Amino acid sequence: MPDEQQNLSREAEESEESMHESPPRSLVTAPIDIYQTDEGLVLVADLPGVTTDTLELQVQDNKLTIFGRVAPVAPSDATLLHQEYEQGDFLRSFILSDEVDYDRITAKLNNGVLEVCLPRMPQAEPRRIQVDGD
Amino acid sequence: MPVFQWRHNWDHFRDLEREVDRLLQSIKLPFPNLRLQRRFPAVNFFETESEYLLIAELPGIVAQDVELTVAGGMLTISGDRNFPAEVPEEAYRRRERPHGPWQRSLSLPERIDEEQVSAEFSNGVLTIHLPKLADAKPRQIPVTTNNE
Repeated sequence: MPDEQQNLSREAEESEESMHESPPRSLVTAPIDIYQTDEGLVLVADLPGVTTDTLELQVQDNKLTIFGRVAPVAPSDATLLHQEYEQGDFLRSFILSDEVDYDRITAKLNNGVLEVCLPRMPQAEPRRIQVDGD
Repeated sequence: MPVFQWRHNWDHFRDLEREVDRLLQSIKLPFPNLRLQRRFPAVNFFETESEYLLIAELPGIVAQDVELTVAGGMLTISGDRNFPAEVPEEAYRRRERPHGPWQRSLSLPERIDEEQVSAEFSNGVLTIHLPKLADAKPRQIPVTTNNE
């Protein structure tokens, strides 16, 4: 029994040491809002700490991916006393409907909030087809 | 197992917190990292040699909308996070981002120099510098004997 306890404490120490050596980078799911406008959809995501340089926004096939890198704010010698959120990079992806006009997607990032406009495809105009008789 | 350790009092809480975190992380949730239903803003608290650092995630908020007060060892930050008024409630298909008035009060672990508190905003992240008071550093107390 004492041996087991020692082993456990040693393990705890080891993991603590490795934590100090390389803080694990984690991926965080950003909270989002989606609302509808006359033009289409607007997606708003909270990405605190992300700048236009560290944000990657891409559409591949029908998947929209948001990836934002966050640089650590606290100096490396600072001790963490109380933690409520995990420092990590933001990643989230969405499947877009066929109604979205991919070529006209626009995005802006202000104070850590990303706003992506997903305009609807313009309605196809009804086309008259000439019917010829023989 | 050492019965008595010359360590900072906070360490035990930190160990416990880490253990609980590790347990929670091993549970598979459908959205493990989704930041929902939590206090807004989430804050992290750091200590360095000379100061404490409070870092809060306040996306979409600008400096003039933040009220920051320090009094009696209590730090309070508050504000209002308003969403575009022109968007009607029924237009929302999904709503995960916290909104409305917010306030956080945190008690500071040690006396700080309230005059020297400073804060800066960068990309929705608020950093508050709370310099330690020189007095708060450990003070030697001479022990005298009284043989009379």
